[in-house]
This record gives sequence, structure tokens and C-alpha cells, in this order.
Amino acid sequence: MNTLINFPISLIVLCSGFILILLGLWGMLTQRHLIRIIIGFSLMDTGIHMVMVSIGYVTGGTAPIINNAVPMSEATNLVVDPVPSALVLTAIVIGLGVTAVMLSFAVRIYKTHKTLMIDKLTESKW
Amino acid sequence: MVATTDTIDIFLQPLGIYILALGVGFLIPLVYRVNRNSAILVFFTALLIMIVIAGLNLLAIINGASVMDIETAGIKPPFSINLRFGLFEGACVLAVNTVALLGAWHYLPRLKQHAAALLLYLILVMGINGMVMTRDLFNLFIFIEITSIATYALIGMERTAKGLAAGFKYIMATSIASAFYLLGTIFIYYQTGTLNIDDIIANQQLIIGPIGFIATLFILTGLLIELKPYPANGWGLDVYETAPGGIASLISVGVSAGVFFALYKVLPIMDLYLTSIAFIGGFTFLISNFIGLKQENTKRLLGYSSIGQMGLLTLVIALLVQLDASAHIPLIIGGLFINHLFAKAGLFWLAAIVDRKNIKDWSSIAKHPSLLILLCILLTALVGLPPFPGFWAKWELVMLLASEQLFGWITLILIGSLLEAVYLFRWFSYARNVESSESVEKPAEVSVSFLQQIPIFITGLLLFAIAYVMSRFMNVDNQLIYFPLMAGFAIWLIDRLNVRVKSLIMLLAVSIGGYFLTKDLEGINKLFSYLLIGGGILVSFATLYRHDDRKGFYPLLSVLLLSLATLLRAQTSLEFFFAWELMALSSYLLVMLGRNKQNCDPGIRLGNDQKNDQKYNQINAIKPALIYLLFSLASAYFILVGFAVSYSATGNYFLFSLGDSGTSTTLAFSLLAIGFIIKIGGFGLHIWLPEVYAEADDDFTAILSSVVSKAGIFGLIIIAAHLGVRADIGLNPAYVLGWIGILTATFGALMAVFQEDIKRLVAYSSMGQLGYIVTGVALMSHLGWVSAMYMTVNHFLFKGILFLSVAGVILRTNERFMYKMGGLIKNMPVTFTFTMIAIIAMSGVPPLSGYGGKWMFFNALMDKGWYWIAALAFFSSAVAFLYMFRLLQTVFLGQRKLEHRKLREAPVILLIPQGILIAIIFVISAYPKILIDVISTAIDPWISNTLVWKGTAMQAHYGYWDAPLIMAIIAGAWIAPLILLLLFAKTMKVQKVEQFNIVYAAERPRRPEETHFAYNFYAHYDRAIGFVVRPRATAFWNAVIEWTHSFAASLRIFYNGNGQTYALFIIMYFVGLFLVNGGLAL
Amino acid sequence: MMLGLMAIIFFNLAANYTENTSLSKLAHYYVEKGPQEIGAANIVTAVVVTYRGLDTLGEVTVLFISAAGVGLLLRRKKAEQNNNHKKINSVKETANTHKSSSEIVETATELLLPMIILFGVYVFLNGHLSPGGGFQGGAIIASGTMFLLLALPKSHISRLLIAITESLSGFSYVVVGVLGVVMAGGFLDNRFISSGTYGNLFSAGAIPLIYSFIGLKVGFELSAVLDRFRKETSNEEDDPV
Repeated sequence: MNTLINFPISLIVLCSGFILILLGLWGMLTQRHLIRIIIGFSLMDTGIHMVMVSIGYVTGGTAPIINNAVPMSEATNLVVDPVPSALVLTAIVIGLGVTAVMLSFAVRIYKTHKTLMIDKLTESKW
Repeated sequence: MVATTDTIDIFLQPLGIYILALGVGFLIPLVYRVNRNSAILVFFTALLIMIVIAGLNLLAIINGASVMDIETAGIKPPFSINLRFGLFEGACVLAVNTVALLGAWHYLPRLKQHAAALLLYLILVMGINGMVMTRDLFNLFIFIEITSIATYALIGMERTAKGLAAGFKYIMATSIASAFYLLGTIFIYYQTGTLNIDDIIANQQLIIGPIGFIATLFILTGLLIELKPYPANGWGLDVYETAPGGIASLISVGVSAGVFFALYKVLPIMDLYLTSIAFIGGFTFLISNFIGLKQENTKRLLGYSSIGQMGLLTLVIALLVQLDASAHIPLIIGGLFINHLFAKAGLFWLAAIVDRKNIKDWSSIAKHPSLLILLCILLTALVGLPPFPGFWAKWELVMLLASEQLFGWITLILIGSLLEAVYLFRWFSYARNVESSESVEKPAEVSVSFLQQIPIFITGLLLFAIAYVMSRFMNVDNQLIYFPLMAGFAIWLIDRLNVRVKSLIMLLAVSIGGYFLTKDLEGINKLFSYLLIGGGILVSFATLYRHDDRKGFYPLLSVLLLSLATLLRAQTSLEFFFAWELMALSSYLLVMLGRNKQNCDPGIRLGNDQKNDQKYNQINAIKPALIYLLFSLASAYFILVGFAVSYSATGNYFLFSLGDSGTSTTLAFSLLAIGFIIKIGGFGLHIWLPEVYAEADDDFTAILSSVVSKAGIFGLIIIAAHLGVRADIGLNPAYVLGWIGILTATFGALMAVFQEDIKRLVAYSSMGQLGYIVTGVALMSHLGWVSAMYMTVNHFLFKGILFLSVAGVILRTNERFMYKMGGLIKNMPVTFTFTMIAIIAMSGVPPLSGYGGKWMFFNALMDKGWYWIAALAFFSSAVAFLYMFRLLQTVFLGQRKLEHRKLREAPVILLIPQGILIAIIFVISAYPKILIDVISTAIDPWISNTLVWKGTAMQAHYGYWDAPLIMAIIAGAWIAPLILLLLFAKTMKVQKVEQFNIVYAAERPRRPEETHFAYNFYAHYDRAIGFVVRPRATAFWNAVIEWTHSFAASLRIFYNGNGQTYALFIIMYFVGLFLVNGGLAL
Repeated sequence: MMLGLMAIIFFNLAANYTENTSLSKLAHYYVEKGPQEIGAANIVTAVVVTYRGLDTLGEVTVLFISAAGVGLLLRRKKAEQNNNHKKINSVKETANTHKSSSEIVETATELLLPMIILFGVYVFLNGHLSPGGGFQGGAIIASGTMFLLLALPKSHISRLLIAITESLSGFSYVVVGVLGVVMAGGFLDNRFISSGTYGNLFSAGAIPLIYSFIGLKVGFELSAVLDRFRKETSNEEDDPV
């Protein structure tokens, strides 16, 4: 399927991933609102997951599940790398955990500070 | 791992730590629902077993078991995840788990309120263990995340406004860092096709090109950021400041330990970046300690110190890997690491239980001896003073760096350490400050139960134990170096006894101990042992004159005196340095015990004139003590580097091989000499001396001046003997030393002339007299050394007497200003006589001992051709007459003040030691040959004897000196007038005049004492030569302090409190590393 | 500007990236040996549950502690709670009139919810055979919970049930892991139960068992997190997690 375009399909995913990471970082650095910062984090995280998946792609490969279409004997030539898939599964769950904790911080911060603007949270410095 | 049916065995494998922590962690919420106490019990049991597992396995490793590689899933790595448990892993895990258990104990009151808190704490500890043990790059990521998330939640637990804000910044920063790490990991996998760290290292050649470069950079940045490098560390500081002590300590020592270990694991693929890592670490260490100077918030202060320490560790590990010196890792990294781990954790807990935000409010623990002792032990450990692990590690580190000629790094490390000592001990000063002059209202006393102190106490004990083990590993065979500490501890145990009893026990103990320590010494060391130990005990006897309790004084004094004995015994530079630092530490603490309310006249604050204005606004010994410690540390660091330079040339620590330093001799000599000169109070480096001598306890000042200062002289002679004479150093450094000595003498004398305060006068005088000795040593000739040693003995004699008689005068009059005294000869005739004899002995006029010293000294100077120095020496001797006359005249002669009519003679206990010293002066004056022969024999091995004796007369180029003859003549010439005087004194009438009420015609005095003749006694000289003695050195050092502080303030502008700025710094760090390492060239 | 430089770095990475044409060493081994060694048709599952089982255990732990952390952060103090109770009572009346879902939504929920949960169970039970697994299944179950919470905001979810399931399934996972040490090759080795017939539901050793625990745990934990964010009332005493 990558004959249709000039460069490999995984590169598109990879680049999209990078763009998402940059967008996410941009969000984390420029948006003052905590929820937007958390969204920035999620975007960055998703970007990383896309990068991970694209790394595991093998030209022309299919899902690494042995079935009728992918017989055990020829599997090594037919499937994509299962490792990044396994890793990305873990990474997603971790990203979720961090997001949940960040959100609960945001909830509590709103209760204590009555604001969600990060530039108001500068009690401790120097 | 072989399948086995022995289940217990499985649980005791390192893997058992996870199984246990997770199993218990999952169950805690359920158990908690049923019964809270059993949940707590389960929690602690789990932590305890984690320690046991780590301990048993580490023990097995130490006993020769091979490094354990634990596989999971029954598949060989790299196809499955494996863990490793070797010596380093084991030590790290054991230490972290121990701190975690103690921390849990400390923090239990809060932890037990929520099941979630218990399980998060447990899993956090497990996460750190995992970071240390895992050998898989991605698995490491998971453990980092487990640790991070557990940390986030625990930071948020208190739910204070500040804590939440800090927590959010922390999450932002660490999530970006772990995102970097994850990106790096996946690209490493892309290139190497594996995630196993060992496999990656083995296939390092696959990590190439821009991808390899960027991937390793991502991993590196991710890990480095977690170690909080400057300036991308504001978020970490905020958390240290706001998190509760139990959590902050775990982040500071536990999480950092895990990340640091992770960094160590991946260093083999970071060859390219080692220099960058070293710079980042060093920079962070230095800057954090700079900024720490400006910090007053206790926990944030600890935060700066934490970050600094991690920076130091990062620097050192990068250097060690770069130098391929991994054999040094256990001692250096291990020592620094464990030192930081326990000391910092203990301090965080202490900060939590004392609960004083600002270090200035810590005076509330001033009356809590146990808290003070804990604080002191932990701070001492953190600064790297003996006997703690940090001391050994620092020694090893400096020796190693010196042998690799990395003096830049040594300088950086020592400057950083000094700065750290400043702010840490300043904190201690505030804590010790009974009357807090800073805050208007007295802060409330803290109430801390004994139980709360136990975890901190245990960390202290562990530090001692580990230090002992380390010294064994470093082949320090001489266990006697610990003797002073043990004796001090024993004396401390009886500190509750009556002051008389305990002081006598201490004197007895020190006498016996000192005798056994020094009995088999010979040569110069033997000579000094009489002086330091014998003399020390004699002068210490005078301390009995005080009746108050003096808690802590006698234990510390015994440490001080016995460490002097071990100093004399030292065979190696390490032993010498150990004893030296111990001496510095104990004398610092003793100075600190000095002058406080009960024996300090509050009126002292009023008595300031323009000249001394700046000096008198301190009313107690706290600040001088801190300055003393700093100068002592600086002196110690110079000595350390000096020894290191010599070690780099000779390859061993023996003092006798110092002379084989070859081309490094001049450098080593100069560094060591500077170190000793600081301790002696040499010109320009003297500013600590008058302050300390003035504010320490009066009897302790006598010990400091007459005994402790001789340690510096001893050091100077030792290095002069080894490096100066034997290795034939050439004239230049010695000549400079000679000038330093004589300038010290001149300025000491000049400064003494213009003092109003009696103790300051004697202090400056002491400094000046030591200057002659330094010059004498610098002469590097036989006669020069004989004169130096002779003057040393003499200095001990007369300074002992002077300070003790001053102590008596101050005790009786409760005054320190000489113009408030006068006519005391009538009340204190014995003290007067002793003082007068001491002054004559000091001044170098016949017939007493000073004359001989000066005679030999001038002869030696002329022999050497140092005429200018001789001229200055002559000049300063003349100046000395001025201040000595002032002392006699204004204190003892003239008219007595009304309120002093009923004063009694000084206590007998003060007079006895003085009497003995006087007796010695007379013996030496009459028969100097006794002393000079001993000195000469001690010196002979170094410089061939040039003394020529003719009967009792010593011959020299410029004449001869026959002491007994002079003695006889003078005695004859004096006794007749004396008798006449005594006869006439009965009949003479002296007219009495009221004091303080004479108003001059044209001048109206601002204060009554201005009209007193004894006030500003030498005003006319002041007009003539006063400009020379303006405290320029003090002004200089004040400027240094000022500049350092404003520099520190400018360094912390990055910490604006905004989480986004902090996040930006992290990205800048990455980009910066990319650019510095040539990223654009790819 | 920094982001610009970051973009350059990423561009550098992308420019030098070439797509893999063959499997990595690790992947090759897994694809080749995985089916026989582990007995799972889904190789990703084999990697997740067995080869990198420690990761997965860690992952479960991450979820567990973030649930615990959210609970800890969003806990309510008693005073605060009583205060809120009144507020909520007053809000409730208005909410009842305004926010109550329509009957269609309620009926649809009742119909769909069991199906969603069943689907979740199916996904985690068949994780070794087809795409899916414990996490996916758990997530589906949690989405059911979310659905329930959105559609019927007043519905009550038993905290006790969640806590028990969470703890026990987590603990059982660890126990299964230990059984791997005792009865097979190492911690988290799934082969202490016979592999069964390849391709059957009950095959691949302990994988279905492990995935069931994971599925339950993930499902309930995510539900708990969702519930935390929704619920304003809870009791600190009986609600320690």
C-alpha cells in the first residue's frame, strides 16, 4: 500500500506523532489554564504513542496474531513488531494514570486557590 | 532462577521485595477497612521484610556470592525482563529501605490516617527498589512512573494550597522528563532491537547517527532533569519546601537515589556526554550552595542542599567513569551517597518535628539538648567532617582527583562544600542562639516527644556505624584516631554529674589517655606533646574556677585535647587530617558554648566608639564561632589539597614521604602553609582570631591561645621539616612565609595597641607573637627553628598566664573595658604580679625567657640576611611595649574605681596554673639550656646543629647569651630598689580625684569615659599611625561576604515560581545539551 | 524559539528514519517462539503478559496507585462533607427538574449496559487469541460505568465492591505470578497451567486467568476514578482508598 505514495506510511504516523508532541509541549508552555495544560500533556503523550507505534511498523506487516491468515511458520515475515505494541499499551495506561492525578490536582487547586491559572500559583519561589 | 519448592527461599530472593510490596499494597485497603491497626502492622512488617531481604542478599554478596541476576517469566534475557542484585544495587536498596522504614515511623501519624497513604508509601519504596534493580530500559521507565505517581499523590495528600501548587509544577516537570525518557527508549529500541540494558551496552555500535545521538540525549535529559540540575529545578525546590518532612525526605534521598542509580546504569552508552554531565553536576553543586546562602526557609534550605549533593554525586560519577576509576565507586560514591541519604533524611524529619519555618526561629530548640545534638551530628555529617562517611569519601575523592591533576574540580568541590557549611552551620547558630536578637518576641519552646526523635537518632547511629566500616575499608588500621570521640562520649555520659566531679574525671581521663597516646613519640612530636597535652591539662585545670554547670563543655574539651594527641601521633596524612578536623570541630563547638547572658555584661553594648563600633554589636559567641568554623574549614581544605598534591606525586599517605613530592613540592608546601597560617591567624587571614578569642569563654580562650594555636605551629614545623628542609624547597616560599610572619607580628602588635577591650588586646598580642614564630620556622635554619620552638614554649607560658589572669580580672570586675578598671593592684596583687612577670617574659627584655627567644631570633635573622624583616621585628617588639604598658597601667595601676573597692583576689584555682607557669618561666629563664637542648635534639635529624655552647652561655656571630649570669645581675639590680619602694610605699600619700567628671574647658565629652585617661589611651599614636591599623582585612572579608550574597541573589532569579517557566527550562536543557554536544553538525 | 529548535531535532529524527523491513531481534524471537512457548496466538499478549510480565504488573500498579492517589486527593473531610450535603440537597431538587435524563436514554442504558460489560468480559477473556486483553476489556467495562454515570447521574456505585474487587484481583495477580516461580520457570511464568489446546479459550496457560484479573481490576479502578470525579459526597472513614 505504500506504493501509492513516495514515502513509507509509518513516516506519516511518525511525523504526525512529532507534530502532536510539539503541539502538546506548546500547550503546556503557553496555555495558562490548568485544564489546557493537562490537555497539552495528553496531546504530547498521544504523540509519543504514535511515534512508538510507527517505530514498530514493518513494511507490509500485519497484526502479530497467529491465525489462518498468518500461519505460524511464516509469521516472522508477515507481522509487524509486537514489542512496541506491547510497550504502547503500557505507556497509554501510565499516561492515563498521570492525567487522572493531574486532573485531581486541578480540582483541588481550584478549591484552594479559586483559580485555574498557573501564573497565580507562585507562592513558593526563590 | 531455578524452580524450587522452598517458598520461603523465593520470598527471600530480591524479587521478594516486589512480590511483598505489591501483594501487601493491593491488600492494604481491605485490611484497613477491617482494622486500621492491623493494616499498619502489615505495612511495617512489609517494610521490615524488605530491609531483611535486601540485607540478607547483600550479606551473601559480600560473603562472596556472585552477582544475582533474577530472570522473570522463565525466559532468558534479553527476551524477558531481568533484575540484578549486586553489591551496588544491594547497598543502595538496603539504604533506601532503611531510610524508608525510619521515615514511615516518623511520618506515621499522618500516614495511618489513610489506607491510600500507606499503600502509596509502600509502592513508592518498591518503585525506587525497582529503579535500582531492573536491567530493562522500558521497565525502568515503568518504575520511574510508579515512583513519580506515588510521589505526586503523597505530595498532594496534605492538600495545602502551596503544596498543591508545588505538586502541579512537579508533575508538569517530571512528566516532560519522562516523556523525553520514553522517546529516547523507543528510538534506542529502534536502533538496537533490544531493551535490555546489558544487551544495549553490548550492541553499542548500533547506536549511531543522528537518531542514536538524539535518542541517548533524550534518555540522558530525562534522567538528569529528575536529578534537578540548575536552573531547571525550581519545581523540585518548591516541593521540598512545601511537602511534609516525611515525604520531602523520601523524594530528596529515596527517589533521587533511584534516579541516580538509573543514570549510573545507562552511563556506559553516554560516553559522548560525560563531560557535559560532569559540568552540569558541578555547576549545580556550586550554584545551589551559593543560592543556599540567601535562603531562610528551613525546608527550602535543605532542598538546596539536596540538589547540591545530587549535583556533586552526578559530577563525581561522571568523572569516575571518565577516568575509568570504577574501583573507587564504592568508597567515594557510596560514602557521599549514604552520607547524604541518612543525614538529609534525618534533617528533614528534624525540620518536620521542630516545625519552625524560618531558620531564625530555630532558637526555640536552644534549650533542647537532645535536638541540638541531633542537629549538630547531622549537620556535621552533611558537611563531611569526621568521623562521618562524607569525610572519608571526600578524602578519597580529592586524592583521586589530585592524582589525575584535576585541580579545577577540586577547587569547585571544596568551594561548594565551604558554602554549604556556611548556610548549614548558620542554621545551627540560630538554633544555638539562646537570646535571639533577630526576632523581637521570643519564639515559643518546641515540645517534641522522645519517641519522635528516635528515627533521627537511629540515622545518626547508622552514620557512625557506616563511617567506621568505611574507615576499615580504607585500611585505616589505626583505631586510635577514634579514641578522642569515644572518650568524649564517655565523658558526655557523666555530664549530669556535679561540675567539679566531672571536670576532675575528665582531667584524669585526658591525662591518662594523653599519656598513653603520646608516650612513645619522639623528636619534635614529643616536644609538642609536652606542650599540647601537658600544657593543655595544666591550663584546663583553671576551668575549675567556674561553678556553673557547663553542659557539654567537658566532653568537648576532652575531644579537643585528645585529638591534639592523635594529631601528634599521626603517621599518615589521613590520620593527621582526621585529627585536624576533629580538633577544628570540637574547638568550634567549644567557642560556641562561650559568652552568653550569665557571664556577659549587658553594658558592653553601650561601650562602643567609632573605631570598634562594628565589632561590638555582637553580644555572644555565636557569630564568631561560625566565622571560626569557616576559617577552620578553609584551612582544612587547603591542607587537604596540599596533602593531595603530595599524594599525587608520592602515591602514599605517609607523612615522612611528603618530602618525595618532587616537582609538586613547592605547590604542596604553599597550600599546606596557607592552611596552617589560617589556623595561626596569619596576616590578612586573622580576622576570625580577635573575635573568637574575645567571645569564647575566658578560660577557654586561654586554652585556645596557649595550646590550640600551637597545633598550627606544629603543622607548620612538620611540613617545613618534610617539605622545606628535606626536599630543599628553595628560598622563595619560605621567604614569603617569613614576611607573612613578620607582618602578622607587626600588625598584631599595632592592632593590640588601640584596643579598649582587654581580651581583644591580649588576643591581638597573641596573634602578633605567633607571627615571630612563623618567621622563625620560615628561616629554615637551625638557629631559626630553635628560636621558633623556644618562642613557642614561651608563648604557651606567657599567654596561658595572661589569659588566665584576664579571666580572673573579668570574673571579679565583670568588665572587659580597661578604662572601667584601674588600681586593681590593691585587690589582686597576685594576679598583678603574675601578669607583670608574663609581660616581661613576653617582651624580650632581660632577664626572663622572652629575651633568649628574641636574641636567638635576631641572630638567626641576621645570619640569614633578612635585614628588613629583622627591622620590622624590632619595630613590632617596640610596639609591644606600648600595649603591655597599657595593660599594666590601666588595669592594675592608677586609681581604683569606687565600685571595685571590695573586689577579692582571683580564685585560687585560676592562680595555681599561673603559678606553675611562672615557675617554669623562671626555670627556663635561668637555665635555658635545659629547654634548648631538648629542642635542639628534636631538630637535629632535620638540620644539623649549629649551636655553640660555652658553659651556660650560647655563642653566636653577634655575641653571646649567658642566661644565668643575666638573671643574677638583674636580680641584684632589682631587688634593692624594690625593697626601698616597699618601705616608702607605707609613707607616701596619694591624692585621690573623682573620675569621669572632669570637663575640659573647650571640649565637651560625648560620654563620660572619654575623659578617662585610660580611654583611647594611645590617641596620639592613633593620629600618627592609626591609618595602618584600620580594619582593612575585616572590610575586605565583609566585602567578600556581601558580594557572595548578592551574587547568590542574582542566581536565583530563575525561580520565579511559575510552573511553565520551569517546564521551559527543561526543554532548554535538552536543546542546550543538543547544541553543546554538536547537534547541529549532524 | 525553543519549540522551533525542538522541531529541528524532531525533523532530524524523521529525516533519518527509515522504515523497518524486518523484525528486530527481540521481535523475531517472540514471533517465532511465542506461540509455542506461551501458547498464545496473540503475540502482543504473549509479550505483555509473559515476556514483559513485570512491565504489566507495574502497569497495573500504576493504575492502582493513580486510583488511590485520586482518591486521596479528592477525599472529603467530614465537616466539608456535611456542609456539602446540605448544598447538594438543595441542588438536588433543581437538578431533578433540570438534569434528569429522558426516558429514552434511561431505557437504552438499561439495555446497553449489560451488553457493554459482557463485551468487556469477552475482550479480556479472549486476549490471548484475538486483539484485546485485560486493559482493553477493563477499559470497555469502565466505559460502561461512564455511560451509566452520564445517563443516570444518581446511580450509586458500591465503593466496597470496588475496593474488594480491586484488592483481591490485584493480590491474585501477584499470587499467580508467585505460582509461576513455584511451579514453573520464574515469576509471572504463565506455564504452570498446561497450555491446553492451541487456539482454544482455555489455552495459553494462565494468560486468561491473568487477563481476567487485570480486566476486573482495570475496569473497577477506572470506574472508581470516574466515580471520584463525579461524586462530591463520600465519607473519609469508610472510604479510605
